[in-house]
Amino acid sequence: MSGKRKKIVAFLCNWCTYTAADLAGTSRLKYEPDIRILRVMCSSRVDPVFILKALMDGADGVLVGGCELGDCHYQRGNYYARRKVAVAKKIAADMGLDPERIRLSWISASDGPRFAEVVNEFTREIEEKGDTPVKHEAYV
Amino acid sequence: MERIYEIQMGIEELARRALETGTVGGVAALLEVPETNKIAFTLVRAPEDVKGLAPFSPWMLENAARSISQMTREAAFTQPVAVILRPCELRALRELVKLKQVNMTNLILISFDCPGVFPIGSRLNGNGDLPAAYEKAVLEGTNCPGIRQVCSACEEFVPRGADMVISLVGRSPTDTLRAAFPTEAGQKFAEALGLLAEGREVEAGEERDRLAGIRADEHNALSARIQGSLKDLDGLVSVFDRCISCHACRYVCPVCYCKDCFFESPAFSYYPHSLHKRLEQSAAGLRLPLDRLLFHLGRLTHMGASCVACGMCEDVCVAGIPVSQIFKTVGGDIQQMFDYLPGGSPDDPLPLLTYREDELKEMED
Repeated sequence: MSGKRKKIVAFLCNWCTYTAADLAGTSRLKYEPDIRILRVMCSSRVDPVFILKALMDGADGVLVGGCELGDCHYQRGNYYARRKVAVAKKIAADMGLDPERIRLSWISASDGPRFAEVVNEFTREIEEKGDTPVKHEAYV
Repeated sequence: MERIYEIQMGIEELARRALETGTVGGVAALLEVPETNKIAFTLVRAPEDVKGLAPFSPWMLENAARSISQMTREAAFTQPVAVILRPCELRALRELVKLKQVNMTNLILISFDCPGVFPIGSRLNGNGDLPAAYEKAVLEGTNCPGIRQVCSACEEFVPRGADMVISLVGRSPTDTLRAAFPTEAGQKFAEALGLLAEGREVEAGEERDRLAGIRADEHNALSARIQGSLKDLDGLVSVFDRCISCHACRYVCPVCYCKDCFFESPAFSYYPHSLHKRLEQSAAGLRLPLDRLLFHLGRLTHMGASCVACGMCEDVCVAGIPVSQIFKTVGGDIQQMFDYLPGGSPDDPLPLLTYREDELKEMED
């Protein structure tokens, strides 16, 4: 870990990824503290606007976490979530933002270690990219 | 191959006969109002009022799908009404059906292959006479200089799903009509008016194909131009920093149907203390109104998959932002990703309301 901490906004589904984050905590696993977790009831609640709003307001990265495909608490929510993230990524890419600052991960409730791993991995990727250029832009 | 008939009448005569025979109770189309030198989308009910019918006008003042939505959203027409729409209006209409904003019952859809339209401003500032160059371009199957950029790059200029398709490209607006009747409702309409018995089958001209080729090249050039201007954040800012947040683009958008726009909701009216906080934290400061760029990105998430690239948004932009060219390009990418054509097949669900299990693997890690 070097330099200033980054800001990564994480939208985690209540039933899987958020529970995994909880488990990572109770299991005393260490992971990078750059993420800011927002709990949503389902990954499909994450409107693409949320993702773009976070990026435009200076987030260095956005993580969307949901249940493994087929394991969604609401049966199919994460399939819809995948399409929504795809839209956000496509718009970001086409409009001059970096789509790699958006990540979608499926992490099941029992997989605390995987949660820590994803957070560390994504934080490392974002660190390599550096600060989002949006931070230095008054116009956005 | 569709069968095209030469009909021995013009559009006014067709509308008059449809009204006189009682085949339809009304005709909705652009109408010229000579007293005020205006054109307006009008619902005509009396046969004597069809004078001035101008569906092939090289201007559109609104995407008429909005008007049809207004007239049918809560209650369908109780008798048949023939509506004459441009292909982009027809596609918007078919998209609005999926969004539950239009009731198609009793609508007879008449459309034509569209040579494109001039920006609204050129009519408001000019005299509204049909430019000779436009007529020539329609006859030859080429793009007339000065039409909307998205029109000159429009590859969907041949209508889909219309009951009656008038061949305009390769013809003059004052010629007698040539038309195909691809649907059952269209066949019935033609029979009721005696069009098939009187008509003579003709070959399709090659002008339509010529125009299609030109449009494909223009489309590629337009996409490349827009992608070049938006390749990074600096590009994004330099394109949109002129936006004055009037949101006129969304008011005229046929598929932006929400009565209460999310971007005008209290979600974006900040309390002073939160603004002060943001100001403290922002290295570069804040320029108001906030969320100006987010509005466009967000609107793309809402209607990009349904954008029919009619060009209304760009026409009304006082800041001169190439809105419709950007939405056509980015919206087109979203549509391609989901293999979806707005206003195409009524059986295709809206992309964000459906999914496939085996897709978009590259979006997850």
